[in-house]
Amino acid sequence: MQKLLSNILTVLLLSTFSSLLFAQTETQDQCITCHKELDDELLLPAKKYVTDVHYSKHIPCSGCHGGDSKSDDMDIAMSKENGFIGVPDRSVRYEVCIKCHANKEAMKIYGSNLPVNQFENLKNSVHFQPTYNNVGPIADCVTCHSVHDIKQVDNPKSTVYPTKIVSLCGSCHSNANFMKNYNPALPVDQVVKYKTSIHGKMNLKGDPNVAECASCHGSHDIFAVKDSRSHVYKTNIPEVCSRCHSDSKLMSKYNLPSDQYSSYVKSVHGVALLEKGDLSSPSCNDCHGNHGAIPPGVESISKVCGNCHVLNMELFEQSPHKKAFDENDFPECETCHDNHDVVHPTDAMVGIQESSVCMNCHSNDDKGYIVAKNIKVLLDSLTTEDTETKKILDEATQKGMDVSDAEFSLKDVRQILIQSRTSIHAFNMNKFKEAITPGFKIIGKSKKAGVDAIDDYYFRREGLSIATLIVTILVIGLYFKIRKMEKKKNQKT
Amino acid sequence: MIDKIYSSNNEGGKTKRRDFLGILLSGGFLAWLIALIYPVFKYLEPPPVEEAKVTSVKIGAVEDMAKDSGKIIKFGNKPVIVIRKKTGNYVAFSAVCTHLDCIVQYRKDYGQIYCACHNGKYDLNGKNVSGPPPAPLTPYAVKIVKDEVIIHAKEA
Amino acid sequence: MKNSNKKTIKERTYSWLDERFNLSGLIEFAKKKSVPKYRETIWYYFGGVALLLFIVQVITGILLLMYYQGTENSAYESVKFISTKVSFGWLIRSVHSWSANLMILSAFIHMFSVYFLKAFRKPRELTWYTGFGLLVMAMAFGFSGYLLPWNELAFFATKVGTDIAGQLPLIGKPILELLRGGEDVTGATLSRFFGFHVAVFPGIFTILLALHLIFIQRQGIAEPEDWKDLPDNEKKYIPFFPNFTMRELLIWLIVINVLAILAVFFPWELGTKADPFASAPVGIKPEWYFMFMFQSLKFLPAEILFLTGEFVGIAAFGIAGILWFLVPFWDRRTPKGKRNTIINYIGIFAVIFIIVLTILGFILD
Repeated sequence: MQKLLSNILTVLLLSTFSSLLFAQTETQDQCITCHKELDDELLLPAKKYVTDVHYSKHIPCSGCHGGDSKSDDMDIAMSKENGFIGVPDRSVRYEVCIKCHANKEAMKIYGSNLPVNQFENLKNSVHFQPTYNNVGPIADCVTCHSVHDIKQVDNPKSTVYPTKIVSLCGSCHSNANFMKNYNPALPVDQVVKYKTSIHGKMNLKGDPNVAECASCHGSHDIFAVKDSRSHVYKTNIPEVCSRCHSDSKLMSKYNLPSDQYSSYVKSVHGVALLEKGDLSSPSCNDCHGNHGAIPPGVESISKVCGNCHVLNMELFEQSPHKKAFDENDFPECETCHDNHDVVHPTDAMVGIQESSVCMNCHSNDDKGYIVAKNIKVLLDSLTTEDTETKKILDEATQKGMDVSDAEFSLKDVRQILIQSRTSIHAFNMNKFKEAITPGFKIIGKSKKAGVDAIDDYYFRREGLSIATLIVTILVIGLYFKIRKMEKKKNQKT
Repeated sequence: MIDKIYSSNNEGGKTKRRDFLGILLSGGFLAWLIALIYPVFKYLEPPPVEEAKVTSVKIGAVEDMAKDSGKIIKFGNKPVIVIRKKTGNYVAFSAVCTHLDCIVQYRKDYGQIYCACHNGKYDLNGKNVSGPPPAPLTPYAVKIVKDEVIIHAKEA
Repeated sequence: MKNSNKKTIKERTYSWLDERFNLSGLIEFAKKKSVPKYRETIWYYFGGVALLLFIVQVITGILLLMYYQGTENSAYESVKFISTKVSFGWLIRSVHSWSANLMILSAFIHMFSVYFLKAFRKPRELTWYTGFGLLVMAMAFGFSGYLLPWNELAFFATKVGTDIAGQLPLIGKPILELLRGGEDVTGATLSRFFGFHVAVFPGIFTILLALHLIFIQRQGIAEPEDWKDLPDNEKKYIPFFPNFTMRELLIWLIVINVLAILAVFFPWELGTKADPFASAPVGIKPEWYFMFMFQSLKFLPAEILFLTGEFVGIAAFGIAGILWFLVPFWDRRTPKGKRNTIINYIGIFAVIFIIVLTILGFILD
């Protein structure tokens, strides 16, 4: 009897202990325990998952796959009744992630303050469109974040860590054969270009603070560049670049200024793009490049500006300034026009007065000084004559004379002024005179027409007075003649 | 009837005033007539018409004209005859005949420029060689630029 | 001063012509021509003024013809050219337009003065008939000439005017198409109106004018009715040559000067070019000499009994016109020397009617 009791007690104790032991092993993830004993692809998830951030948060395999992770019986652990879903289909596997990651309460349970809008952003993006062979979205959570060995984003081992992300994106975007299934026109050289850029070079050296793909394009809400919702849509680019480039603390680490954005938004280009919505105006990437971003070299600035300002570029490159500037390391166009805060040029920029940019280098009576002086004189003269002529024509019109032809040809003067100001970039007196002289011819003709019209107005009135005077004399004369004649008649009869 | 206005001077003292009135009236009428006729004549004078000054005209590609053929083109408001010779070269002249201003033509059968009005003939240098024309045709310069034929007014 | 042997140039010219054309008879006749001198003599000048203005129209019209181009594409531009580029073109054009209006005004005044002075009575019925024809022709001149600048106002005025003509029953549509040269007002209408204005109407007008003047010369200037009973020595006359002529000359000089003043200070507008597809501008109106008819038609209701209002209006004016035309025929009393007060009242009514409706036409709408 006592032996039976002690046996029962031992068994009980043993079973308790063993069950406790078992319990420990049972509270352990039985999935991993089991799969570790397997081979190849059934082994891999188990090996990887212990490095996963979700494992460190004590989320068992069943957290995503369903089933009962406490049971070592495969039929129980992987039973549908217990919620086991197996390997989710490619087209719906994202639903597993968003069960928690789109749910703020769920995230709080695990003590996380991560945002929960990733899927919301992703589902409208270009990446969430179905693949060409309809297996699911082009890119979902797993595509970028991987699975079973997911790290936190700020972990250098994460697939989406700044230094790793370039090759991640490039794995699709540099593959021409792959990309042509979706958009054969889309370039596939972004990574190559990126590697030539300052951002790329530093990124390759391991700097996580420089711009990489996601910094500009976004991570989840990526849209086509032409889509106005895209972070890199033309009107959004200045602000995107300024996120880093206006941060003086960040920029000081690289010895870079941080005033480019604030200068740009005040400039002609900035106002045109951001306030007037003129998409032909340059954004940061139009001059600096986007993937191969680098400031243009001193000698090539005119080529970059010349992509739009063709005529000015051609004239400048043939002018004496090209050699002079390049030899002295003056940044071509920027020297007179600035780079970021390009303002609308005025006639005050040329000439010999204080406000002129010419006087920054030229001094009294050197060749440049004389040319600058003469150019300004001619420009001012044509502008004043234009205003004067307009006044004369207005006066003529007020008087009821027709000067519509002269007014029409005067419109050409505006065009000629624009062309003359462009021809300044040749810094050559003859070329400038060639451009501006037709303006004076037109002014001459129009002014004459206006003055003639006003003269005609007075001529008509003068002529009328003379004619009326003659008629008045005649009428008075006739009156007296008649009176005399009739008096004589009365005397006769 | 007419003598009533200019009656004989049997009212002696009144002569001066009458004459004065007469002079005033005749002078006045003359002035009035001039004031009337002057505008009419000025009106009939044709006003100057603005002409766009044309200095050159492009007529097309070199191969557009067959060899040994001619055509008349508009140079501003003047007619110009352009001839592509058998050799392939181009020449151009004023198409206004120097005799009585008819418009000339190229005659393939003569190999010359011909004026139908009075049988005038010019050679391919513009020189008047037969018939009434008293002077050669004014030449125009032809330039070939990048396979295009351009006619210019010849500098004097 | 005159050498009796050596004739002056005037005398020599006179005898040269006299030998060939027997001028002495003409001179005698001209000496006898005289104008009654009384309170109403002032009205006797208006016929001459109308004649003067017609001559002005012919001269300025021929001058305008030198530059005017009567096609849809260039009519407006040619008038603009005349007004702005041709020397004194502005003067010729404005004088032509003003003179047209003043001619019709003086013709109306002349007609009414003849009416009230009963100068239409026997033996001068034909003078009245030709005169009436001249007035109608003057208004036809005005209507056709108005279109020639091919501007917006003219285009629509012509449209409305020819539309009204088209309202006549039976003959309305053929008349409309005849006038317009088609169903609508187009370049064909312009060509047609141009032809009427410079060839057809001048021809008809000249014939009527010649007859009108011949009749007047043959019969002499009409004397007032109550002079029939006056003894000869109480009747005062102005000799036509040279007294009345010189007075006329004085008035003619003033009229011509007035035309010049009007041309300088109130130049005639050109407006915008006609566009057949543009909407009619607000406040479209005909020229003042058609206004009273136009305004009356506007006042008539759309339907009167079983007839359209417009037809009634046109018929009424037509009948009124015919009766007015035939006044020498139905005025029985005046030839008998009695005062015909009915005629006077009708005349006063007509004058007031025309004036009031013309004013209303301009101040309403």
